[in-house]
Amino acid sequence: MAKSGDSIHIFQGLLVFGNVVIGMCGIALTAECIFFVTDPHGLYSLLEATENDDIYAAAWIGIFVGFALFALSILGIIGVIKSNRTLLLVYIILMLITYAFEMASCITAATHRDFLTPNLFLKQMLERYEKSETVNNNDKWMTEGVTKTWDKLMLQKQCCGVRGPSDWQEYTSAFRIMHSDADFPWPRNCCVMDAQGSPINLDGCKLGIPGYYNSNGCYDAISGPMNTHAWGVAWFGFAILCWTFCVLLGTMFYWSRIEY
Amino acid sequence: DKLPYTPTLASTTLGGLTTASTFVLEQPRCVFTEVQGGAVIWLVVAIPKAVDTFNDTVGPGTPERAFQGFPTSAPAYMTLNTTLLNYPCPKPPGEITVLRVGSETSCAKDERRPTCNGPLPGPGPYRVKFLALKGSRPVAETNWSDPIMLRTARPFSGIPVMGSGRSAGMIALTSILSILFAILLAGLVALLVFWGSDVCGGSTFSKSEPVTVRRYNTHHVQDQGAAQL
Repeated sequence: MAKSGDSIHIFQGLLVFGNVVIGMCGIALTAECIFFVTDPHGLYSLLEATENDDIYAAAWIGIFVGFALFALSILGIIGVIKSNRTLLLVYIILMLITYAFEMASCITAATHRDFLTPNLFLKQMLERYEKSETVNNNDKWMTEGVTKTWDKLMLQKQCCGVRGPSDWQEYTSAFRIMHSDADFPWPRNCCVMDAQGSPINLDGCKLGIPGYYNSNGCYDAISGPMNTHAWGVAWFGFAILCWTFCVLLGTMFYWSRIEY
Repeated sequence: DKLPYTPTLASTTLGGLTTASTFVLEQPRCVFTEVQGGAVIWLVVAIPKAVDTFNDTVGPGTPERAFQGFPTSAPAYMTLNTTLLNYPCPKPPGEITVLRVGSETSCAKDERRPTCNGPLPGPGPYRVKFLALKGSRPVAETNWSDPIMLRTARPFSGIPVMGSGRSAGMIALTSILSILFAILLAGLVALLVFWGSDVCGGSTFSKSEPVTVRRYNTHHVQDQGAAQL
């Protein structure tokens, strides 16, 4: 009797420990997803214009799943300590629902990250940057968002275009319709600026002299934060789900062995 | 007289060497050494067909040489006139000495400025040479350059956006999570079935309230022990 008493306690202890870890990971997931949703790099407008902003949807789901995991872990701890079959059954069912939501979030984040290729941003930049005739309000909103984001990006990260300034030369664009090629081979923000925000040497910038214009592309500055966002949501969620899987299996086994 | 110099594009480190309507030439430094001061050096831009029939004596500023008529009514135009003072010899090392052909957009449509250095109307090809005029008399010229092609922009609608494929990580993540979820659902179903039928009653664990085993200390057990002693 004493021996099986010990093994009960050990098993209970393991389940409680598992639930504590789930609770803490839930809080961490909520915090991480809130961080991503606040868009610290200001790149949301680019995603909104591609109409492919599902990695943000995944982060929103992650916020609520994190809270749910925390609350359910407390329920699980109480249920395991009291060895109450009803409580534990409720815990298992609610946990499975939360599991399904978190699974959706992870898969969405991972899948939609694969859509964010350089060509996608290139086409969107050429199509929308400084577009003058907008069809409706939605179009105008997206165009303004894209233009502002690119201006800020090119200025702050000292880059030009997606792969380089040659993007503006190789393809036609809405920008090219508005600005002549001779005056603006690439947008003004591709020029190296002084403290007042004007180019240090406009002719040098138009000629393309290294040092007076930004010759590298902005794709790294865009994909870096987006990768962190998507992989952070997807793989951290995956890790939590693997751990939760073990804890849930253990809880089911424990439930089946409780004296009725 | 003909000088043995061929105009070339500037060095290739320049990002804007050729754009859709401009190109950048190397300045003709230390080329017009025999020409005296007072001569004006012009740049002649022509379509390749007009090279063989080019007449040096037709002056700049005439309708036949006006930029605004290029390339239809004026198969060649002359621009970027300057004196030799602007091309000092020798060239200081490390300095970028270039001429940007096509940089003046303000006078491109102005008929009163036939020597405008306006943006070129198409992707070319174009051939250029330098011509030194004293008054209206040609005194020196360089060779014609090789044909210069400008860039043509492709329409952006042709950029392929789809078809990036699925990454291995995403496939692994999806399949593993689906399998785990399926196992959990199976476990839940098994649990509910067993709860309903109550086959495996499961009495290995008891409730964890401390089980109190009352010791039956009856009188006669103690009496027996006392009696034996």
